[in-house]
Amino acid sequence: MSRIGRSINHVWRVFATGLVFVLFGLGALFISLTIFPLLRLSTLHADVARRRIQRGMQRTFRVYIELMRMLGIMTYELHGVERLREPGRLIVANHPTLIDVVMLVSLIPEVDCIVKRGLWRNPFLRWPVIWASYIPNSEGEELIERCAATLQRGHSLLVFPEGTRTVPGRPIRMQRGAAHIALAADADILPVTIDCDPPTLFKGNPWYRVPERPFHMKVTVGDPVSSSRFRREGEASTRAARRLTQWLLAYYGASEGEHSNQDQQRANSAASAAPIAPAVS
Amino acid sequence: MSVNVKSREEILEYLREVLVELFEVKPEQVVPEANLYEDLDIDSIDAVDLILKLKELTGRKIQPQQFKHVRTINDVIEAIQSVMAESPTA
Repeated sequence: MSRIGRSINHVWRVFATGLVFVLFGLGALFISLTIFPLLRLSTLHADVARRRIQRGMQRTFRVYIELMRMLGIMTYELHGVERLREPGRLIVANHPTLIDVVMLVSLIPEVDCIVKRGLWRNPFLRWPVIWASYIPNSEGEELIERCAATLQRGHSLLVFPEGTRTVPGRPIRMQRGAAHIALAADADILPVTIDCDPPTLFKGNPWYRVPERPFHMKVTVGDPVSSSRFRREGEASTRAARRLTQWLLAYYGASEGEHSNQDQQRANSAASAAPIAPAVS
Repeated sequence: MSVNVKSREEILEYLREVLVELFEVKPEQVVPEANLYEDLDIDSIDAVDLILKLKELTGRKIQPQQFKHVRTINDVIEAIQSVMAESPTA
């Protein structure tokens, strides 16, 4: 592309990105006031409504992704995403960008999500999140219990173990919540890896600072892993949660450069405890 | 009924065993000034397990709010002492 062509393309992508943000906000408002209430009224059964609304979320997010692709902001490729349809699994993913959740929800027919609890006070969005049975990000134990309960009912649940978007250049940090949830529900974990190149909409990057070329998102779904393989006979589950979290960190390639010495040592000892570490390649 | 009073050293020793067992911390890290979250990497879910475990020492139910302001090992010791000093309730 010529220099002029590049700068026109750049201006276009700034405009298109802004447009998508506006459409996202207006669309959420419109759908929350029309389609979702109709879906809720379409049945007397709250659980049927939950499924219909979750499917509505999937289709809505699908539209946003296709819109971004057609506007020339992004391209994407998907690997193994049919595995996301298996219900009852804890789907975990790394979190490089703001649109990871849009991408993943667009690929999963029915999935529970953990959503900012502030939305339960939002006059427009509180009903959709209630009808969809999304889970508010409450405090520790209560959140773990709710998440484990939904998995035990056979629903899929999407969790970002980092708890927030990754700051580029810094090592991945993980909370142990995802491990606690998987162990409490005795659920299988389905790890998803998201690559975004060039990085965009990462933590601390304003939306108008678009990358030098359209970004390419690659979603790779790994093999499911049973949480029970991290348990050991006669041992506290707190230890299993640590082992599982170390496995996740290693899976997402962050076993080196931990945020503290202590974790570094733990990562090393987890890596040497080969029998529990499934091959990651 | 005899009130089971334990010295600070006994409680610290017990805590050390429990923290090593539950959270794989190193015994030498368990010192009174160690911060649970920052130094020992114990999160809020871990704290729930810790409180359950401490019931075995105190023989009494510990309310999570009694642990609300606990930040360091020293705070834990003081919280345990205050739980044990309470007159046993029915």
